[in-house]
Amino acid sequence: MAFDCLGDELNTFAADKKTCLLSVDRYSLRGATLLFAVFLVALVSVQLQAQDQAWIHTGTGLGVQKFRVAVAPFAPQGSVAPALAQEFSDVVRADLDFSGIIDSVSASFFPSQAPSQPSELNFEAWSSAPASSQFVALGNLNGTGTDAAIQAWFFDVRNPSSAPLISKIYRGQAVDQQVRLYAHQFAEEILEKLSGGVPGIATTQIAYVSSRSGTKEIWVMDYDGAAQHQLTHLKTISLTPRWSPDGSRVAFTCFEPGRNGVVSPQICMYSMITDKLISWPRWSGTTSSPSWSPDGSQVMFMSSMQGDPELFVADANGNHPKRLTFSVGVNTSPAWNPKTGQQVVFVSDRGGTPQLYTMNSDGTNVDKIALPDMGYVIDPAWSPNGEILAFSWRRPDGNYDIYLMDMASHQLAQLTRDAGRNERPAWAPDGRHIVFESTRTGSREIWSMLGDGSQVRQLTTQGTNESPNWSSPRQ
Amino acid sequence: MEYAPQHPGDPTLKGMLVWSVGLHALLAASIVAAAIYAPKTESWGGPGGGQAVQVGLVSKLEGVPLPKPETVTNSRVVDETKALYQTPPQPPKPIEKPPQALPIPKFEKEKQPKYQTRPSRILEDKTPPPPNAVTSPVGGGAPAIPYSQPNPTATQFNVAGGTTGGMGFTGPGGGDFGSKYPWFVEAVRNRVSSNWLQTSIDPSVRAAPRAVVDFQILRDGTITNIQIVKSSGFASVDDSARRAILGSSPVSRLPNDFSGAVVNVEFWFDFRR
Repeated sequence: MAFDCLGDELNTFAADKKTCLLSVDRYSLRGATLLFAVFLVALVSVQLQAQDQAWIHTGTGLGVQKFRVAVAPFAPQGSVAPALAQEFSDVVRADLDFSGIIDSVSASFFPSQAPSQPSELNFEAWSSAPASSQFVALGNLNGTGTDAAIQAWFFDVRNPSSAPLISKIYRGQAVDQQVRLYAHQFAEEILEKLSGGVPGIATTQIAYVSSRSGTKEIWVMDYDGAAQHQLTHLKTISLTPRWSPDGSRVAFTCFEPGRNGVVSPQICMYSMITDKLISWPRWSGTTSSPSWSPDGSQVMFMSSMQGDPELFVADANGNHPKRLTFSVGVNTSPAWNPKTGQQVVFVSDRGGTPQLYTMNSDGTNVDKIALPDMGYVIDPAWSPNGEILAFSWRRPDGNYDIYLMDMASHQLAQLTRDAGRNERPAWAPDGRHIVFESTRTGSREIWSMLGDGSQVRQLTTQGTNESPNWSSPRQ
Repeated sequence: MEYAPQHPGDPTLKGMLVWSVGLHALLAASIVAAAIYAPKTESWGGPGGGQAVQVGLVSKLEGVPLPKPETVTNSRVVDETKALYQTPPQPPKPIEKPPQALPIPKFEKEKQPKYQTRPSRILEDKTPPPPNAVTSPVGGGAPAIPYSQPNPTATQFNVAGGTTGGMGFTGPGGGDFGSKYPWFVEAVRNRVSSNWLQTSIDPSVRAAPRAVVDFQILRDGTITNIQIVKSSGFASVDDSARRAILGSSPVSRLPNDFSGAVVNVEFWFDFRR
């Protein structure tokens, strides 16, 4: 007998059956079944235990600190140009810098040995002064011919025993555009992890109106201002682009012949999937400023098809238009609460000057948003959490500036001041960034900033650019 | 006695006094005249100032998920949450035999173990304990970590004012999750903290006792099973805490190398205006 039985009790208990359950020479099917059952029970109990064990005890009431992250230079290997590797680490670093939640470690504090593999990572050197980083992103670009494989890791260096938070390989062509996209994806994954589930915006895009080709057309760029390209070539005037919530379409105001043949503002729909315009019904009069419902099934817009410019809502393909507002004066610029889908803020001059009003999405319960000062209030934009409204406001003694209002408490915060006209704010899907147009440099350009008014940066420089709108995260 | 000048031609004390009084009177008169005849303008920075209306602005709104400045919190001598110290397991009570129970018959005689090991000698420390030694009531082991002390196994965060708050990760397993994935804990804490809209709290509440809320995070980051374990005593504080957690769902996925199906979180909210 190669194995002895487990115990004498078992031996004696099994004696009348003239076998030993666990002996190798009489290895019965029953023994195997019993073993398997014991294994299953052990597995389930381990699972249950693990469920009981994982506890987090934490709390608020203490300040929120920024994470300190170092992006080690990514090493070029094989046929990859060093400039490309440099670009990858630069883009990742810029994305993290711009996120507003990360304190980036300056390259001059890096340890002299730059790791390109996890085995080369010296946890001690990166986590201690002067780098003092909590996290390190590292990796390499390995080129074979025209293709490159980008290996990227993200480590918690204060916790040397832990597995990497992220370890990924991106494969694709070793060209500038592709490397940028992968860098954005890597940065987005880091940000998603460190912000506790708030979507990263590194791969998002911004649609805007630019006249640099001669006429006002819809253009699209990456969120950091790179890869600016023209979407429409209508050679007329295109305005107010709005991304659909799934990012597959852009609705905008175009100048087209209406139902009666007169060229007037109408709504055009551009498909980002087929890169073509999609048909959308034409009505008489002016139709403009489309706005998507949060589920993407409906579009609200201003139309004067019944005489007065009023708000209408229609299906996403333009069918079944239904009038929502009934008032003297112009009602336009609807903005749909993205969280609830129940509330709509719009601009109306029924009180004399353009002011903000709220209503339910079915047109009931219209109410004016009371502000403590007079002036023009236009361009409402909801934050993604449906709590804060951004708008531009020209107070009697001032210029157009971007303000935020907490809809629950009606607290106001002014984000821009003494820097040209600042109009048409739009929120990023992470709820931290706002893109807007400003004339602070002399010409009208697109700028972005954080939700507290800091980290202002210019995104466009050529021609006049206006009316930006931020896409939702890429699916 | 006449105070005579030492040299002829020096001014006398009386003359200097007359000059001084005269000049001071002139100065006082010119100040009064300037105050009376000065052109009437609005004082600098005073009220009025054209048509502008004072707008009560705040520097930053709640709800934008950006890092907040550090706030001062009271140091807490008594922690309302569960203590870190675990009571040692009590030995199980011996099962009392019912009086009429018969002993279970053994099938065979008991076997003696093959090898009898000698009892090992105990090397006793003969030196007497120092006179100032403190006897431990629980029999040694690491002391429970007080809340106000830095916890070496947990991530720390500094609070303005010099006190340090520690996040302790305890539990039956001895704090596995928190020490392995401190970044996850911190990310969840930041997310919930930035989603805590304190403007929705009843303005008459100045400060509230700690509210403790338990919830669970599933593997895909969904938050379920939110329970208020200890109410702050103010419904609006409890509601805002619950909304902060609900608004944070889903948080990021649980770490890939974590084997459990769910993580339990005990989250406390300290409210002070």
